[in-house]
Amino acid sequence: MNAPGVDISQPPLPLRRRLVELLLGGGLLASAASFLYPILRYIVPPPSADLGGDTVVAGKVGDLKPNSGRIFRFGSKPGLLVFTADREYRALSATCTHLDCTVQYRDDLHQVWCACHNGIYDLNGRNVSGPPPRPLESYEVHVQGDEIVVTRRQKA
Amino acid sequence: MTRRVLQTAILTLLLAALGSPGLAPPAAAQQPNTCLDCHSEFPEPLGVTREKFAADVHAQKGLTCASCHGGDPTKATPEESMSRAAGFRGHVDRRQVPDLCARCHSDAAYMRQYNPSLRTDQLSQYHTSVHGKRLAQGDARVAVCTDCHSVHDIRPGSDARATIHPLNIAETCSRCHSDAAYMKPYKIPTDQYAGYKESVHHRALAVRGDLSAPTCTTCHGNHGAAPPGVASVEFVCSNCHVFQAQLFDTSPHKSAFEAAGLPACVTCHSNHRVVAPGDAMLGTGPQSACTGCHVEGDGGYTAALSFQRRIAELQTAVERSGEILNRAEQYGMEVSEAKLEQAQARDALTKARVTIHSFQIDQVEKDVQAGLKITEKTYQAGVLALQERDFRRKGLGISLLAILVVLVGLRLYIRQIESGEGKGSA
Repeated sequence: MNAPGVDISQPPLPLRRRLVELLLGGGLLASAASFLYPILRYIVPPPSADLGGDTVVAGKVGDLKPNSGRIFRFGSKPGLLVFTADREYRALSATCTHLDCTVQYRDDLHQVWCACHNGIYDLNGRNVSGPPPRPLESYEVHVQGDEIVVTRRQKA
Repeated sequence: MTRRVLQTAILTLLLAALGSPGLAPPAAAQQPNTCLDCHSEFPEPLGVTREKFAADVHAQKGLTCASCHGGDPTKATPEESMSRAAGFRGHVDRRQVPDLCARCHSDAAYMRQYNPSLRTDQLSQYHTSVHGKRLAQGDARVAVCTDCHSVHDIRPGSDARATIHPLNIAETCSRCHSDAAYMKPYKIPTDQYAGYKESVHHRALAVRGDLSAPTCTTCHGNHGAAPPGVASVEFVCSNCHVFQAQLFDTSPHKSAFEAAGLPACVTCHSNHRVVAPGDAMLGTGPQSACTGCHVEGDGGYTAALSFQRRIAELQTAVERSGEILNRAEQYGMEVSEAKLEQAQARDALTKARVTIHSFQIDQVEKDVQAGLKITEKTYQAGVLALQERDFRRKGLGISLLAILVVLVGLRLYIRQIESGEGKGSA
């Protein structure tokens, strides 16, 4: 079956075979590594925790004193969690509807205040004074165990 | 019938005893109104249709023609309904309109039954207005109640069809104030409405639909309408622009403007034509508000250039870091934390633009520095995210290459096995 003119006394086969085996083995190893690397990266948690989507843990019960507020991260936007003097949790978007500044809770006013142009919102997010043209989006707040979970309201 | 007449008589006596302005009670709405029988057929200005009068808030509350014009609308014949004995007053002279309306509207006890929160100081306010003062001097061309509120179809300000609804006020005022021929004797400009329509206030009100945005009456008052005046314009603007006014009060411009007799706010921002402020108002370019007073070589000129340069630097830094973060996000990289911080940089830029009203470079510099510090960090986060993207791309390329090598190796291996088998079978 050998092709005419092929010199079978030469030993090229073991070298070629080794080369092919090396190629195959190395390729398999590299492929396995390239498959495993993303899996390992997936298992190792990222430096910042984000539940993503429409729900986020805004803090833990006890983090906030009554009549105080704090900014939490809701995706790439800031949210404002307020623990009212009546010990109720309220969560609002912290982006002012006037020029997108970040609002804050004012414990002296018991209202939400924007430091850029003195815009004021009530604790339901309604714009009550200053330049803001629209209310702040308000979120649902649930306490699950010791976590304060904030959820975007479902639009009807 | 006799009983009904008796009832009406008792009620009228009761109202008179209580010192009421003598209006027909709300029940009068149910009674026939013979005035409209004829007047609905008349042409303007005597014509008042039933539909028109039905839209009037007074008619809806049970008042009738007689409430203002006297007479008795329940009587069938003109002689009876318009008899002087029945108190028929007929046409109300323009000069008497404010006092006529005030018979009820200045009576707090009477108005309480319709709207307890409605103000009852309109007439006293009107007396302080330019309109009221001129009317007192005998000028009947000035605005009286009915010019702004309309007549016979007066709607409350909350009704979008009302002439005094926030969206309609400017047009209502412009009916006289934009009429050059009508305003000629008063020697005042007539371009206020044209200017206002180009203003940021009009845009906020009419385009953005913010009904709290200013219209004529916000700055001039309504019943007491008068120009704010040079000395008080700052107080008027500061009702909304609180921080700017506070900063202006601490600025070197405060005393300088007073000394020069220049109004605050308006000198740089204009009055009716308040356009959206921009960074071009700083510096020394063609749109500069500074070069009106400051000339090359003085401190203000140098400060104007510094303000513009520093604000522009922060603006550029915010745009640059925003752009790289957006790019990283489009490539699917996780940059939400950096984008959150980026919002703080935009805050700093907005604050710096407000702080400009202190006209003190060290105060503006604080906001600029705060913003630049954040943008440096967020830009770096964007660079790292793009580096990570490149790393992942290279990784994908290498793994694809590795898979290709495996495929080639397998192919060669299979060929070798096949050729070995072939040899064996030969």
